[in-house]
Amino acid sequence: MSAAALYFEDVEVGAELATPGLTLTGAHAAVFGGVMGDPPPPPGEAHDLLPLVLSSGLGWRVPAPPMAVLAFMGCEWRFLRPARVGDTLRTLTRVAAKRQLKDGGVVIEDRRIVNQRGEVIQSGRTTLLVARRPPAVPS
Amino acid sequence: MAGVLSYRPVSPGTEADDDGLAVGQEWRSPGRTVTETDIVIFAGLSGDYNVLHTDAEHMKASRFGERIAHGLLGLSVQHGLLGRVLPGALGERLVAYRWKFRGPIRIGDTVHVTARIGARREAEDPGWGVVVVERRLVNQRGEVVQEGESEHLVPRPGAGSAAP
Repeated sequence: MSAAALYFEDVEVGAELATPGLTLTGAHAAVFGGVMGDPPPPPGEAHDLLPLVLSSGLGWRVPAPPMAVLAFMGCEWRFLRPARVGDTLRTLTRVAAKRQLKDGGVVIEDRRIVNQRGEVIQSGRTTLLVARRPPAVPS
Repeated sequence: MAGVLSYRPVSPGTEADDDGLAVGQEWRSPGRTVTETDIVIFAGLSGDYNVLHTDAEHMKASRFGERIAHGLLGLSVQHGLLGRVLPGALGERLVAYRWKFRGPIRIGDTVHVTARIGARREAEDPGWGVVVVERRLVNQRGEVVQEGESEHLVPRPGAGSAAP
């Protein structure tokens, strides 16, 4: 049986992950504009924050179990190139560091979002609070 | 508090540059109540179905007692709220965000944004400047749930402003 989640103890510094691609559509841009409360972007364009939002879900589409994230603690993020409708985005992550706390641990990831031409459109560092493995239940 | 409905700066700041953006200039956005619908739509859009945001029964047993908003939903709501207030020049070229998620946004919380121009400097490219906007997302109890700053490229008035 595969693990249901990747706990803090299982996270390896240096581990890399590449997600499948997701094609950014006008529907993504319109729905995001509605949630954010911004006027819709001009046709063909997407809001700068949308690729970051989509990358947060791409991490769930890899074969590996998802990290047991308790909280998103912070990010330092740079917007390098605009994203356009029709672009296909993937996320590449690498675990940069981890630090144990009492009730869990902090995991710092370097994250890049690349388009179909391999250009990095956004990149930065995200800090996550990850759960420790729950104690085994005696059978 | 001034500025909630007027959409005008709370404080005009001092020493405005030619583009009208001055260090110390402050704004306060209107409020917005974050609903279950916002969270459901955001989960569907992002694909982030973490139980924190989608499993009410699981979250009953948590210290939050209920599903909480995605951190990036808070950041997005914050950006949209402030976008209704900030001068248009700051909406064009977003360069960076440095952001801390301090506490949960629960279903039904009403948040608003306070913001201030913290710094400005020349960009590497002549004809453009960098403006730093400090932002705080505050709930109805006055708790800062998220905060940080954004960097924006702003064209310098008078300079030929071909995009860098």
